[in-house]
Amino acid sequence: MGRNRRPSKQMLLLLEALSAHTQQWRHGYDLMKETGLLSGTLYPLLIRMTDQGLVEAEWREPEHPGRPARHAYRLTNAGVAFARMATPAGPLTFTKVAFT
Amino acid sequence: MTLAVSRALLSMASRSLGSDRRTWAMAMEAEFEAAVEDRRPFLFALGCLFAAWREIGKHSEGRLILANYALARGLLIPMAVLQFQQAIGFLSSAGGRPFGIPSAADGPNFYLIWSQNSAIPILVITWLLLGIAHLCLAWMLVEGDWSRIAKCGMLIGAAMITLSLFMGVLMLDLSSLRAQVAELAIEFVAVVSISRWHIRVLVGASRDLLAR
Repeated sequence: MGRNRRPSKQMLLLLEALSAHTQQWRHGYDLMKETGLLSGTLYPLLIRMTDQGLVEAEWREPEHPGRPARHAYRLTNAGVAFARMATPAGPLTFTKVAFT
Repeated sequence: MTLAVSRALLSMASRSLGSDRRTWAMAMEAEFEAAVEDRRPFLFALGCLFAAWREIGKHSEGRLILANYALARGLLIPMAVLQFQQAIGFLSSAGGRPFGIPSAADGPNFYLIWSQNSAIPILVITWLLLGIAHLCLAWMLVEGDWSRIAKCGMLIGAAMITLSLFMGVLMLDLSSLRAQVAELAIEFVAVVSISRWHIRVLVGASRDLLAR
C-alpha cells in the first residue's frame, strides 16, 4: 500500500544514498551525514522501509574494539527495483541542498 | 551536562519504542557513540526521541504508554492537587465553629471542639499523604511498576478509610469526602482497566517472542 505512494523527498534522498553502493552496508549515522537528514526523520524512514522489505538491516561488528555492534542497512532487491522505479529518468539527482 | 541530558533523552526514546521496536532502540543507542564523536549527541538524541514518539501510536505497547501518561496527567495529578487543596482548605476552616452542634443555643461543646482541634494535625497529614500517594501513583504508572502501584493503591485506600472514620467520629463535615469516594472509584476502575490492558500487551509480546 505504502509503496504505491509517491516517495517523499526525504525517502528519495535515502534511496539515493543507499543505491549508490547497493551491496555496501551503511551505518545510520553515516547515512544521516550523507543525506543531511536528522535522526528524527531517518529512523522512522528506515523502520518503514524495513517493514516494507525495501531495506535489510544487520548487526555488524564494530570497527574499533570495545565499541558496541552497530546496525547497518542496505537495499534489498525489491529496494533496488523500487529505487529505479522511483526515478525512471535515470540515477537519482536529489541532493540535500535542494531540500534545505 | 549535555552528554548526560542526551543520554537521558536517548533512554527515554528507547523506552518509548517498546519491545516491538527493541532492535531499533538498540540501533539508535549503538549510533550514539558516533554522534558523540561528531559532537552532536544532543541533536541526535532529540531526533531519536521524536522518531520514537512518531512510532508510539503504531504499536500496542506504545498506545498503552500513551494511555498511562493520559491517566497520570489527566486524572491522578489533578486528584493529587485536589487532595492538597482539601488539606489547605481543612486547615483554614479549622478555626471556625465546630461541626456537629445542632444549634448555637445549645452552647459550645468544649469536648468536641477540643477533640476536633486535636485531630486537625493528623487529618491534615492524612490529606497530604493522600496527595503525595497520588503523585507517586502517577509516577509508578508511567514507570509501569505494577507491584508498587498495588501497594500505593492499598495505601490510598487505607488513608481514605482512616480519614472517613476519623471525620465521622469527630462529627466533621463529610460532604467533601463523598465526592472524593466517587472520584477514587473512577480512579480505581481506570487503573484496573489499564492493568488488564498491560497484561494483554505483555501476553501478546511474550507470544511474539516465542514465535520468533
